[in-house]
Amino acid sequence: MSDDGTGGPDGPDGGDPGEGSDAGVRGSVVGWLSRLARASAAERLFISGSALVLSVVIGFFIVLAAGRMTTCDTAAFALPPRVISLGPVSLGPFSWPASMGFCYDPINVYDRLFLGAFGNLAADPLNGQFATTLSETTILVFTGVAVAVAFKAGVFNIGGQGQLVVGALSTAVVVFAVAPLLSGVVGTLVLVPFGLAVGAVAGGLYGALPGALKAYADANEVITTIMLNFVATAVALYLTQDVFQDPDSFATQTRALPSYARFPSLVFPDRAGVSLLALALAVAVAVAVAYTLTRTSFGYDVRTSGLQPEAAEYGGVDAARTVVASMALSGALAGVGGAVYVLMVLGNFQTGVPDYGFDGITVSILAGNNPVGAVGAALLFGVLKSGSIVVDVGTNVPPQLVGVLRGLIVLFVAMPEFFRMVGRRVGDVAPERDRGAVATDGGERE
Amino acid sequence: MSEAVRLDGITKRFPGVVANDDVTLSVERGTVHALLGENGAGKTTLMNVLYGLFPPTEGDVYVDGEGLERDDGGGYVGSPERFDSPRDAIDAGVGMIHQHFMLVDPMTVAENITLGNEPRKWGGLAVDRAAAREAVVDLSERYGFDVDPDATVADVSVGVQQRVEILKALYRGADVLILDEPTAVLTPQEVADLFEVLEELTAQGKTVIFITHKLGEALDAADEVTVLRDGRNVGSVRTADTSREELAELMVGREVMLESDYEPATPGDPVLRAEGVTASDERGVVAVDDVSFTVREGEVFGVAGVDGNGQSELVEVLTGLRDHESGRVELRGRDVTDASRRDRARAGMAYVPEDRQERGLVMEFDLTENGILGSQHDEPFARSGRVDWDRADDHAERVVEEFDVRPPDTGAEARSLSGGNQQKFIVGREFARDPACIVASHPTRGVDIGSTEFIHDRIIDLRDEGKAVLLVSSKLDEVRGLSDRLAVMYRGRLVDVVDPDAVTEEQLGLLMAGEEPDDVPSLRGGADDAADPPEESGGTDAGRTDGVAGDGGDRE
Repeated sequence: MSDDGTGGPDGPDGGDPGEGSDAGVRGSVVGWLSRLARASAAERLFISGSALVLSVVIGFFIVLAAGRMTTCDTAAFALPPRVISLGPVSLGPFSWPASMGFCYDPINVYDRLFLGAFGNLAADPLNGQFATTLSETTILVFTGVAVAVAFKAGVFNIGGQGQLVVGALSTAVVVFAVAPLLSGVVGTLVLVPFGLAVGAVAGGLYGALPGALKAYADANEVITTIMLNFVATAVALYLTQDVFQDPDSFATQTRALPSYARFPSLVFPDRAGVSLLALALAVAVAVAVAYTLTRTSFGYDVRTSGLQPEAAEYGGVDAARTVVASMALSGALAGVGGAVYVLMVLGNFQTGVPDYGFDGITVSILAGNNPVGAVGAALLFGVLKSGSIVVDVGTNVPPQLVGVLRGLIVLFVAMPEFFRMVGRRVGDVAPERDRGAVATDGGERE
Repeated sequence: MSEAVRLDGITKRFPGVVANDDVTLSVERGTVHALLGENGAGKTTLMNVLYGLFPPTEGDVYVDGEGLERDDGGGYVGSPERFDSPRDAIDAGVGMIHQHFMLVDPMTVAENITLGNEPRKWGGLAVDRAAAREAVVDLSERYGFDVDPDATVADVSVGVQQRVEILKALYRGADVLILDEPTAVLTPQEVADLFEVLEELTAQGKTVIFITHKLGEALDAADEVTVLRDGRNVGSVRTADTSREELAELMVGREVMLESDYEPATPGDPVLRAEGVTASDERGVVAVDDVSFTVREGEVFGVAGVDGNGQSELVEVLTGLRDHESGRVELRGRDVTDASRRDRARAGMAYVPEDRQERGLVMEFDLTENGILGSQHDEPFARSGRVDWDRADDHAERVVEEFDVRPPDTGAEARSLSGGNQQKFIVGREFARDPACIVASHPTRGVDIGSTEFIHDRIIDLRDEGKAVLLVSSKLDEVRGLSDRLAVMYRGRLVDVVDPDAVTEEQLGLLMAGEEPDDVPSLRGGADDAADPPEESGGTDAGRTDGVAGDGGDRE
């Protein structure tokens, strides 16, 4: 009987979370991570969506709090008076006798951040705000896919910015030199593809450099690519100032390309700085890269090297060559991004290029390094960038606060992806404990 | 006699899988108990439950190193254990020695043994090294261990490291010792030493449970054997009352041919030839030292040796994964010394790698994708740079079917398969290349008896089809049973090439340990190899063997 007596209470004890063992907690965390790692595309979208909502909820309160800390003449947002009391105890923070005013209206802020990016689509589908969104998206697709390709090969290319700058400057200079030879529609048909090719080659070479350093000199690509960003920016500044400077301008920029050497804007007005052709090209490139990765022998080599370098070596993949090739491809894509920036947005090269290359890293991580997913992630970024401008212009909310809200959104959306990557890493360690278990599973499923 | 350990109806479920299904195990105090079973039978999971790594889903664990007491009704006095972590299990007197040792290499034996429970002085501020050393000396004397407490762990042999692990458990007060596959890394001589140690331990009242899938060891070392199959206890027998055949049948669930007699080989032309191959390991130390041999059509050339004597490096040089320092490798008369791995594969070399999870498979790829690893640029799977996934899937399907890979789902990720099934898939893929030469490194490591038998038969089939097979294995039964000629590797050198049918296990063990036994049926310099230039003079061989023996002597 003593047996039953002790056995009884012990049963429920097992479920007591207070007793939660380290192994148990660790186990459930590992389980959760590996589930996340296996999440399908649909699940991932759902996860990202909920993260987005959560970030908005938190941002909502941040805007309110910031609004309380500022002084202003009229409240942009106010809560009606509310008194909650439980007998003699008053619930301090949850009750206020008079209406409470806030200097910033969070609903308005988010409304403008998200919807502002699209402008008034119903009245004017070609409005400038929407054009900005699409133009940002287009360039971010290139840099995002560039980072994704390198990621798939197991190389962390942080040098997208430098490759983009090199591609942009080369395109601006070379196309300007060649442009006088041609004109009109023929000029556009030849010069635009030629400019893209120049950007691809320049960016590709600039990407292959750290690739070769990694493959043949064992230099860590994270460090070399970061440093080469500075080199690219500084050299571009020097070349623009001292060699290719537009003599008619006070700004540090090269001379403007003739309009026939630029992307035809087609639908949008010329000064919108966006071309649906370039956007279509960006999407096509993303799809082509996805196809290359999954359907070709080269893509197989790249993915194998990225996932398991030892197995790739066993499978006859030349590791060094694959690293150089994927870095060259990655650099070429970023370089094309730079060419598009010049041919579509600027019409010349200007120093102080926005951080497209760095944003490309976030775009790629948001997309789980999936080239096609990078299109969606780039659109989110485009919306946020263009939307922030609307918030800046249309409300009294300081730009720093808008930056916080943007960062918060990216942080939350990226977090599941971040955990997913961690999950993969942990999963590499985990099979040891799974192995024994899964073995029997072979028998079970028969 | 009383029980030291009682596992009562243990069920351990993982998501979607039952690893242990209502297993009851009782271990007498002061005995050696073998837990026998195929891969994935649930042996290690069960022991991890006992060691507190996993809580059981159902069932109770009772442990008492002094023997469990029962009341009049047969129930146990005292409550079942509830281990939340190995720490609790250690406190209850359970110690586990894992397959991979958990020792700190640069520290001394005594430091390793006392690590985490060091005697202290100066009010706990400093480790009392003298007391620690003394405690270790006392312990090793009590149990008759021959261990130098001041030696650095990195410098002692694997067998001694294992003893250090055992001493560590004893130092922490273990009465019940669990050993997970303790013999996997040992030479035959070290295995014999280990079994003596176990005997001494049980004589002094300790209880030992050891996990193994080797029948012979269970019979040799244990007093009682419990066989697990598919997570269930299919029987516990006293070793005195059983036989290899009975145990094998319990393990596999059907009758097994333990010793296959294969027809002798009819060797033809040389296919794979190594001449004076020398190569270094990652640390730059010479790992393969002037190795020469020839493998002919229609023969199995075995390479035996304790792991870590240069076999892995030799195989990597032959297959093109490692740079050599000097020497030549020829494949079908062609010099492939500097050819890439892909070139060698195209020239007809299949390769079953030693490490299936690092090299042989991409764990995140499914079987279809893994099925073309190594052929991703070749017909019929690739055409003008594009992969034909339909063909690849058909191919994977065939391999899965022929080699009985479970689950038979080509869409399953490689990581979801058990080790044995992963291995079967790799072997199937490589054998399907229709190669001229197969380099198989530990082709049945971690594979259960039934599948091992199948893989062995296939190797012999390929041999009989006229392929050249280079077989590297640390399983003596395997290399002896399959090889037509057997080379022994020790410290990077081929110390001898012997007739596997005539050599005794003792002689092999001595050769593997770098000794020079008498009357070895050596094939070196004999008529068999007369045609091979590097083996023309028996004199060099003798000198070489001497050199190695002297080498071994230096170490002691």
